Amino acid sequence: MRFKRYRREKNRVENHLSRTEQKVVRQKKQFVARGYTEVKAPSILSFVRNPEDVSEFIAQLRKLEKMRNPVWVILKHVKEIDYDGINVLLSAVVRFQARRIAFNGDLPSDLGVRKIIEESGFFEYIRDDSFKDEDHYELSATKIYTHAKKNVDSVLGQKIIESASKTVWGGARRCPGVQRVFLELMQNTNNHASFEGEGEKHWWLSVKHIKEEKRVIFSFVDYGVGVFRSLKNKKPNDKFFGAIEQLYNKALTSITRHGDSGVLKLIFEGELHRTATGKTYRGKGLPGIFQAFQQNQISNLAMITNNVVFNSSKDTYEPLHNGFEGTFIYWELNERNSKLVTL
Amino acid sequence: MKIKIATDFSTAPGPRYIREGKFSGEEFRTKHLLPKLKEGIATNFFFEVELDGTAGFGTSFLEETFGGLIREDKISFETVNSTVKIISFEEPALLDEIREYLQEAHKEKGTNK
Repeated sequence: MRFKRYRREKNRVENHLSRTEQKVVRQKKQFVARGYTEVKAPSILSFVRNPEDVSEFIAQLRKLEKMRNPVWVILKHVKEIDYDGINVLLSAVVRFQARRIAFNGDLPSDLGVRKIIEESGFFEYIRDDSFKDEDHYELSATKIYTHAKKNVDSVLGQKIIESASKTVWGGARRCPGVQRVFLELMQNTNNHASFEGEGEKHWWLSVKHIKEEKRVIFSFVDYGVGVFRSLKNKKPNDKFFGAIEQLYNKALTSITRHGDSGVLKLIFEGELHRTATGKTYRGKGLPGIFQAFQQNQISNLAMITNNVVFNSSKDTYEPLHNGFEGTFIYWELNERNSKLVTL
Repeated sequence: MKIKIATDFSTAPGPRYIREGKFSGEEFRTKHLLPKLKEGIATNFFFEVELDGTAGFGTSFLEETFGGLIREDKISFETVNSTVKIISFEEPALLDEIREYLQEAHKEKGTNK
């Protein structure tokens, strides 16, 4: 008996694993034996900084979700994580749990990453089997506030802004530019995310307050069809029917950008509405979001949809080779952004 | 006569249609704006719609509210322009935006005749 205990301790030390980690390794073996498929999370779990690997990770999860295949997410090697990565993890766990598909995973070795994931409530939600297929989820019991809905919720937007402004400016302010971003994104998801009809897909919004930096981070994602697939699928009676093809031609004339990357730039500049209606409508939909960024109402805007990654901090529109079925938007609110006093 | 959206309707105006969420442009137009507009037309009085004091507007709300008067309620472009005065000191760019929606709805109505 004493020798067995000695061997166990020796093995543990030799493997450099803590008791918890050894338990997780044992659990993993059991879960894989029970038909779980292992999915390795990217070592940099940030959609903005590592879009190719994260989009592939999302695609794998969605494929397994469609097949109703239980998943074991390998997080052990994750070295860096951003709050948009948390949004991806939380939306995945809730979707799996709500559809009664088993979802589990291991612990990141990096203690900083582990803390962020623990704070998000991810490991609690993994154990929570009370999720049902609902129109609305509220995952706000943790330090990262995550909301999921199918409809347009202006009151939620207002409350989030009020709370964010207290972190940024130390008191409640109004930010009509941020509210417009919320409303345009929610409306887009409600109207255009699904070919099946309106109000079919959830949008997922995660909000993280960083008090010491007076900064609030927002990430919004829907797992719909994405901007380009939606536009390509417009019916002949739709005012946007055929407009995207015209934009591809316009983008081709650009020396530096073409294809979807060039078209996203044109959409931001209002060309889609101009082409379809003859009017600029710079404030509508995606141009409205871009305008909020240009007018300093939000900062560090980034967007990923279908085959394009836009990153305002680098001013780049780049192709996304792995593709992303959906729309993802990231932005921040900080002290330098404009605001209005609360009446 | 005056309607201040923030106090008479909501500080958080919402989506385009009632089915899409609370405080929609459709709800505001049909329950608040249109009755006042009809009253204004009947009494030959100008009335004001004030946009200030809200959390902010989505484009669909504004388009449905103002463009909808022409498209859905069949009020003429000229009548809307001569009866409704829109006010925004906080976001004056909204006035141009609404003007575009009205012109577009007017144009669409013309092509649909």
